[in-house]
Amino acid sequence: MIRDVLHLIGVYTKTIMKSWFQYKVDAVLRSLAVFLRESTGIIVVYFTLLKFDTLNGWNVYELLFLFSLLFVTYGIMILFFTGLRDFGGTVRNGGFDRYILRPRGLLFQIIFVNADWFAAIGHGGLGIVLFLISASKVGIVWSFDKAMYYLFAIFGGVLIQGAIFLFLATLNIYLLETGSLKELFYWNARKFAGYPLSIFHKAIQTVMLYVVPFAFVNYFPAQYLLRKEDMAAYPEIFLYLTPALGVAMYLLAYVFWRFSLKYYKSSGN
Amino acid sequence: MSFIEVTNVSKRFRINKRAGGIPGMIANMFVPKYEYKQAVDGISFSIEEGEMIGFIGPNGAGKSTTIKMLSGILCPDSGSIKVGGYTPYKDRKKYVGNIGVVFGQKSQLQWDLPVIDSFELLKAIYRIPEELYQKNLNRFTEMLQMESFLYQPVRQLSLGQRMRADIVAALLHSPKIVFFDEPTIGVDVVGKETIRQFIRELNETDNITMIFTTHDMQDIEKVCDRLIIIDKGSKVYDGELSGIREKFGTTRQLDVEFTQECEIEPVENVQVIPLDNRKKRFVFENRDVKIDELMNELLTKYSIRDINISEPEIESLIRKIYNGEVS
Repeated sequence: MIRDVLHLIGVYTKTIMKSWFQYKVDAVLRSLAVFLRESTGIIVVYFTLLKFDTLNGWNVYELLFLFSLLFVTYGIMILFFTGLRDFGGTVRNGGFDRYILRPRGLLFQIIFVNADWFAAIGHGGLGIVLFLISASKVGIVWSFDKAMYYLFAIFGGVLIQGAIFLFLATLNIYLLETGSLKELFYWNARKFAGYPLSIFHKAIQTVMLYVVPFAFVNYFPAQYLLRKEDMAAYPEIFLYLTPALGVAMYLLAYVFWRFSLKYYKSSGN
Repeated sequence: MSFIEVTNVSKRFRINKRAGGIPGMIANMFVPKYEYKQAVDGISFSIEEGEMIGFIGPNGAGKSTTIKMLSGILCPDSGSIKVGGYTPYKDRKKYVGNIGVVFGQKSQLQWDLPVIDSFELLKAIYRIPEELYQKNLNRFTEMLQMESFLYQPVRQLSLGQRMRADIVAALLHSPKIVFFDEPTIGVDVVGKETIRQFIRELNETDNITMIFTTHDMQDIEKVCDRLIIIDKGSKVYDGELSGIREKFGTTRQLDVEFTQECEIEPVENVQVIPLDNRKKRFVFENRDVKIDELMNELLTKYSIRDINISEPEIESLIRKIYNGEVS
């Protein structure tokens, strides 16, 4: 049973890779384009911070570390959840009907039939570069415990974003198109998440903590490793919630997904 | 209990009805107005194993919706569907392994990859045993003459080639039922004939139950034994193809070419249409006029060079059924 599933995942991945190699030059360029597009934002922050020195106590390398978590988690997340990102299109062009006609789990197919390696390499690559630049300069003494914490934080951060994607994808069943909702909730919140939570107005903080909880994707994991003074404003427990929150949010989104499937209407011809 | 049992099935869709223009769009955001469309309205039919059904009707008649309910994509609002003991939308994972679906307008092949790669993927998805896979692949590619393009990327194929590949893709796992939704659309005459022959042959040799929607009457005449016609969500005909003529095709026409120009005396219940100087067309209802008596009368009264009796084309009869001209 498990061998059968792993075999299928292998065949799906091989198929994606083969399609990818049909356009080698384009593949390299697209990854590079994503990498550079995201880098420009970072470069602006970098040169701004050179003038200000610190932002609420965070120096430029600590900020880059904060950014790196955001990009690393997105890079991994998009490898698994490309199908959820593009789910609106899949519903509209009838691709989802085809998933229903195959004797496999629906979410399983959505997750493993697609993987945007361009985005994964672009975002993930940038995350790794930022991590390499910053990790040695922010005074973290890496130990086994901290490395484990880091891995669990990445896992939680991936699931939190995956849950948001799953939730927005599920809305497609009712609305057919949710691109602007994703822009509104996901991408805008993500822009805030590049900076320390403490610099924002209370209202924004509330959103980042309780509505689209990006603060748990990078701010609190970074705080655990860096221990900046502005952490005093938040409960200590927030440092440890990321993996549990990721699992909880994902399960909740999954229940919503299962519930919504029976309202699926197909796209018509 | 038949193999496929559809009992009193209905399905309606809610459609968001927008007023025109930007004010309408904004109004719709706050106070959406909905309209209900009854796509399928209390349809019942049963199909035995191995039957070859033509499922036809005008655009928007509810064909696709019915096919989607039969294949488990949509669940009916009311009524019941049983296929080989399964309820499609409930037992999805177990059920869909037994069916194959060809959407003529939507390929299930990997666009950028050679045809064979899509087949290998399907082999893994459907857990097709190696032996069965090889057997089916060899047999179908030979029957459909696909050896020449099996290793070509799908994007380089002609529409006819792509359609053949899509048909094989739906059959690799040896389904018991196959739904063909317009499998010859856009395919040239030769390609259509190949596809029809293949479907016909497979139905006969493998006893696969097939349900076939199309707008091409040639498809129907050459492939299907039984027709189910639906219109506005309801069934309007269910029976043999030849039955359509008996039931609806009661009009006959007789084209007569006379040796010279002549005046025709009116005949009771027969409409006479002049075609040109010496040709006239006699149109009448089968039940009102005995054809031998009419011909006798014409032969004795006039000098005739040629005579030609024709029955109405199936296509024109079905067009009449669509238009509601017959009942």
